[in-house]
Amino acid sequence: MAKAFNEALESGKFVVTAEVGPPKGVDIEEMKHHIEILKDTVDGLNVTDNQSSVMRISTLPVCRLIQEAGGEPILQMTCRDKNRIALQAELLGAYILGIKNVLCLTGDYVTVGDHVDAKPVFDLDSVLLLEAIKGLEQGKDFAGNEFTGEARPTFCKGAIVTPEANPIEPQLLKFEKKIKAGAEFIQTQAIYDLDNFKKFMEYARKFNVKIMAGIVLLVSAGMAKYMNANVPGIFVPKDLIDEMAGAEKGKALAKGIEIAGRMIKTLKDEKICDGVHIMAIGKEDKVPDILAAAGLA
Amino acid sequence: MIVAERKPFEEIKAMIEGCKKVLVVGCGECVSVCMAGGEKEVQILASQLRLAFEEEGKELEAGETTLERQCDKEYLEEIKDKIDDYDAVISMACGAGVQFLAEMYDSKYVYPALNTQFIGVAEREGEWSERCRACSDCVLAETGGICPIAVCAKGLLNGPCGGTNDGKCELSKEKDCAWTLIYNRLNKLGKLDNIREIFPAKKYSVQTTPGRRIHEAFKEKE
Amino acid sequence: MWVDYTKGLLEESGIAPDRLKMFNLSSSMAPKFKEAVDEMTEVAKKLGPTKIVSKAA
Repeated sequence: MAKAFNEALESGKFVVTAEVGPPKGVDIEEMKHHIEILKDTVDGLNVTDNQSSVMRISTLPVCRLIQEAGGEPILQMTCRDKNRIALQAELLGAYILGIKNVLCLTGDYVTVGDHVDAKPVFDLDSVLLLEAIKGLEQGKDFAGNEFTGEARPTFCKGAIVTPEANPIEPQLLKFEKKIKAGAEFIQTQAIYDLDNFKKFMEYARKFNVKIMAGIVLLVSAGMAKYMNANVPGIFVPKDLIDEMAGAEKGKALAKGIEIAGRMIKTLKDEKICDGVHIMAIGKEDKVPDILAAAGLA
Repeated sequence: MIVAERKPFEEIKAMIEGCKKVLVVGCGECVSVCMAGGEKEVQILASQLRLAFEEEGKELEAGETTLERQCDKEYLEEIKDKIDDYDAVISMACGAGVQFLAEMYDSKYVYPALNTQFIGVAEREGEWSERCRACSDCVLAETGGICPIAVCAKGLLNGPCGGTNDGKCELSKEKDCAWTLIYNRLNKLGKLDNIREIFPAKKYSVQTTPGRRIHEAFKEKE
Repeated sequence: MWVDYTKGLLEESGIAPDRLKMFNLSSSMAPKFKEAVDEMTEVAKKLGPTKIVSKAA
């Protein structure tokens, strides 16, 4: 049985989380296999919410499957598809199933996904969602109505930040609002430049929040260049691109694992932040290898 | 002003399939300014329909007229004698004008020639951009005169989102990130504190559908 | 820009856009005018008649 995520955060250990992306459809064999590999290697397992606005199995039942398998799920909740009524209903439903860890996100826009004509909701944003959760913990819903009965939920609530957003000032202003709204843990967008990340952490350290650096496994130099050109807030420095490009033929993935492992080890040894969130994007079976490369297996 | 654009020609032509006499009615206000449904556009559409029908060996008589505006009964009444001569009407007004014309002349089918798009401004000749969503709860005082509902793709009140990139929106390098614009404007005005506090959620109950407003002076006394 | 726009309107109406072309001439350029007329006559011949009957005739 996995330890509760908030206990892992409070224990002061170097926390590791990874993520599972549910499939489109009902063939869950591969997903169950990923859950099996990951559930005991990490302190928390995120389940993405229609990631990139591509319709997939919803997060709550997948969190339940992780829980039944003995893992510790983290429910990712975006504001793209559900209004405030549906969001709160989902949170209460998660809580009664024992799912208490929630990562609050605004969500990608509808047109970047595969249902471009769907109606975008965005009734709330990540900040207001965190506030809504705070309210539920006090027995009040977003409209101020009191709960029936005495029971009150407690959630372990998190948010995200992009440490290399450009410009950075509006991002930091929003980061502070997320903390004000009750964020207890932060998973960052993927970082590659540890010097820049250290500078961000100097600023972020003054807030009472646990910060986990986002690690995205590089599989090729082409992937790094693609992300630099197309993904906001991700900057893979030239020396890492060169290192990936210089890998032996057929060994690019192994190089990516080595780089990820090295970064995680540095973050841990130099106590730069409180943990890491590993996004293996399709290569979930390599997460144990990454942890081994980091000396964390 | 209201900004609209003409529907694809094929779509309009298909609407009046089987008609022999149509009246094309333009509007002299917003849609004239944004070059979608004014007098010139009425002439163009009527000519195109005549040419297209004739090229297919069919007859079409297309009458042309442009009203001051179609959202006022006073002007719509001007066509009451003319309209009986026609099988159908094509209105080149915005959605509101089309409906008002259809309501007044409900024994004639009224077709819309335009797709009404947004409330916006003229950036330069031939180019208009959206600025207002008519949300009935204007927050421009807090955001330094930049609307997050109309300009932010996601309509966020606590932005920016994680997709913002170099001041541009996640959707396209051509779209500005509203919240970067708001940040910069408030910074310039020394009013960043406006957005340091958490902006409360939007109140959608004030946006009734359909909306209705009665001026105080015209309200009936109890 | 407006000529291209008008060609588009013609095309929408089912008329070949090549039937319209803009020539910049002054009244003293008679040979150039003849060239333009010859060119457009060729275009019209190649495209064949439209069904449109000129009402001005």
